[in-house]
Amino acid sequence: MRKLLLLALALLAVPRAALPLGQEETDKVIRTIDERERNSGDWKALVYMEAKEKDKTDVVYELVVYRRDKERKLLFLFLEPKTEQGKGYLRIDKNLWFYDPRVGRWERRTERERIGGTDTRRGDLDESRLAEEYVARWEQDEKLGKYEVHRILLTARPDVDVAFPTVRLWVDQATGNVLKRQEMALSGRLMRTAYYPRWKKVWSESKKSDVWYAEEMRFYDEVEKANQTLVLIKSIDLRPLDPNLFTKAWLESKSR
Amino acid sequence: MMIRTDIAIAARNLARHTRRNVLLGSAIAGVTAMLVLLGGLTTGMREAMLQSATTLMTGHVNLAGFFKITSGTAAPIVAGWEKPWDAVKAQVPELTYAAPRGRGWAKAVADGVSMDLILAGVELDREPRFREVIQVVDGNLDELRKPGTILIFQDQAKRLGVKPGDTITLSAPTTRGASNTADVRIAAVARNIGLLSAFNAFIPAETLRHLYQLKAGTTGAVQIYLRDADDSAKVAARLRAALRDAGYRVMDPDPQPYWQKLMFKVNAEDWTGQKLDVTTWEDEMSFLSWIITAVTWLGNVLVTVLMVIVAVGIVNTLAIAIRERTREIGTLRAIGMQRSQVLRLTLLEAFLLGLAGALVGAMLGAAGAAALNAARIELPETMQYFLLQRNLHLAVHPGQVAVYVAFVTGLTTAAAIWPSAYAARLRPVTAMHHIG
Repeated sequence: MRKLLLLALALLAVPRAALPLGQEETDKVIRTIDERERNSGDWKALVYMEAKEKDKTDVVYELVVYRRDKERKLLFLFLEPKTEQGKGYLRIDKNLWFYDPRVGRWERRTERERIGGTDTRRGDLDESRLAEEYVARWEQDEKLGKYEVHRILLTARPDVDVAFPTVRLWVDQATGNVLKRQEMALSGRLMRTAYYPRWKKVWSESKKSDVWYAEEMRFYDEVEKANQTLVLIKSIDLRPLDPNLFTKAWLESKSR
Repeated sequence: MMIRTDIAIAARNLARHTRRNVLLGSAIAGVTAMLVLLGGLTTGMREAMLQSATTLMTGHVNLAGFFKITSGTAAPIVAGWEKPWDAVKAQVPELTYAAPRGRGWAKAVADGVSMDLILAGVELDREPRFREVIQVVDGNLDELRKPGTILIFQDQAKRLGVKPGDTITLSAPTTRGASNTADVRIAAVARNIGLLSAFNAFIPAETLRHLYQLKAGTTGAVQIYLRDADDSAKVAARLRAALRDAGYRVMDPDPQPYWQKLMFKVNAEDWTGQKLDVTTWEDEMSFLSWIITAVTWLGNVLVTVLMVIVAVGIVNTLAIAIRERTREIGTLRAIGMQRSQVLRLTLLEAFLLGLAGALVGAMLGAAGAAALNAARIELPETMQYFLLQRNLHLAVHPGQVAVYVAFVTGLTTAAAIWPSAYAARLRPVTAMHHIG
C-alpha cells in the first residue's frame, strides 16, 4: 500500500510536459484545430500579402478570398498591384483554375500552387483539413517562447495529394492555436516555416459558434532563405455570398 | 554550231565594253556574294540549331507523351517506354540510335542564389553524340554517370556561384504535386551553347526519377536519331500510325515544344492516363524558329533591294549599249540577220554577263564564308544567345550556291528582255541612219 502511494506521488511529481500525449488525444488536438477554423457557411476576407524576395523589390498583393466551405468552393480575386488586377483562382470540383485577364485564358493549376508566385499556398487561405489529409503523431511537449506547446508530426495519408508530405506543428496547449508550422519535402528537407502570431475569432451564424482564423501569418522559405511572405487577413465577412459567384463568368466579369 | 557563233559574238561584244560591263558584272557579283553569305548564315544557324538542339533538348524524332493522374495534373512522362518503342522500332529503318531522356523542371538553389532549370535525365552510355556537342570546360563528364550529380553550363555556374565538386539543391514537385528536393554535386561545367544552354541542365536519369518519384522504366521521351534529319517528319508520321495501330492513344500532330503543350494545352484537356506524343526536332524547337525566319526575311529584303537596283542597272546599261550600237544592229539587220537572232544575241550578252558575275560572286561569297569560318570570330554574347553559336559559322553548300547562281543569271537575263526586244524591233534603214 505504501509503495503504491509513493508511486502515485512520484507520478504527480512528474512535470506535466513530460507526459506523452496519447494517439487519441493527439488526434483530438488536430480535429480541434480543424473544427475551430471550420465555417459551414460562406466566407469573404480581404487578404494582404507582402512578398520579399532576394534582389527584388517587395511586392504587396491585395486580394479577396471567397469560400463556400460546405461545397469546397474557393475563389481568389486580385485587386492589387495593378499588374495583377483581375487575375484570380477558382476551384471547381478538384481543379484549381487560374485566370489572367490580359490573355483572357484559363489555365488549370495544381492545388499546391504558390499563390501569385509568393510563398503562400492555396491551403494557407483555405479551410483547414489536417485530420483528413494527415496522420498525426505526438512528438513532445515543449516551450515555444513563453508558450507551452504540443509538438506534433503530421504525415500525409496514402493517396492524399498534399504539397508537403510531412508537417510539424507547434500547438498552444492552452488555446489550441497553431503557433508554428514546419513543412518538409519528401526528401525530409525543411522547405518552409510558418508562424501564426495572431489568432482571432468571429461569430458564425451558420455554425452557431466562433470561427477562428490566423490574422497574421509569416512564411519563411527555407530553401531560398531570403524569401518570405507576410499575410494579413482583414475584414472577415460571413454573410451569404452571391450564389453565382463561384463561376468563371463571374471572375471574368470583374476585369471587364 | 550557230549557238557557239552567237556566244562568241556576244562574248566579243561584252569584251568591247569592258569598263561598263565590269561595273555591271561587279554589281551582279556583289549581290550573288551577299546571297551566298546570307544563305550561309541562315543555313549555319539552322545546322547549329539542329546539332545543339538534338543533343540538348530533342531527338530528330521523339516518342514522348504525357501522363495525367487527374485531368488537372499532367506530367511529361512515358510510363514503361520500352513497350511502345519495341512495338514500333521496326518501322524506323533510318534509325541510327534511340535513347530515353527524362524531362523535368526544378529550382536550383545554391547558397542563397536560385534559378529555374529544365532538367534532362540522361544515360550517357546510350547517347554517343552527347560528347560531340557538350564541351566540358571544368570537371569530368564521366562523373555524370554517378547518381546525385549534375552537368551545368558556364553561365549557370557563374550565376549560382558554383564549380565542380560543389553541391546544389534541386527543388521540384513530384508528379503528384508533393514537394521534393535532391542534393546534387556539380560533375562538370560545359561551354555555353547559346539560348538553349541558358536553362538546360543534365542529371543522371536515375536521379531525375528519384526527384520526381518515378518508377524505373519511366522516361520523358525516347529520342530517336536518324541518318538524315530531313526524314524526321516522314518518320514521325509513320510512328504515329504504327503506335495507333498497336493500340496506343496518340496525340494529333501539333508543332509546339512539349513544355508549351504541358503548360497551355494538356492541363486544360479533360482526360486521364497516358497519351503518347510523337514530335520532330522542328516541333520542339519551333519556339526558336522565329530567329531563323527573322534573319531569312531580313536577308531577303536586303537582297531584293539590291536585286532591284541591279536589275534597273542592267536595263539601263543594256538600253544605253543598244542605243550606242544602233547603227551596228542596223547593218546586221541589213545583211540578213533576223529579228529573233538580234534578240537572242542581246539576251545572250546579258546571260553571259549575269553568269560570269554570279560565278565570280559565288566564289567570292564562298571564299568570304570560308575566311570568316577560319577566323573563328567570337560572336557578341547577345548574338550567341540567339544564333546558338559561339563562333560565327556560315554553312555554304554547293547545291545551294548553284541555285543562287542560276537565280541571279536568270534575273539578269530577264532584265535584258525589254532592251533586247527594243533592239530587235529596229528597222534596218532607220538604224543605219541613226547618228549615235
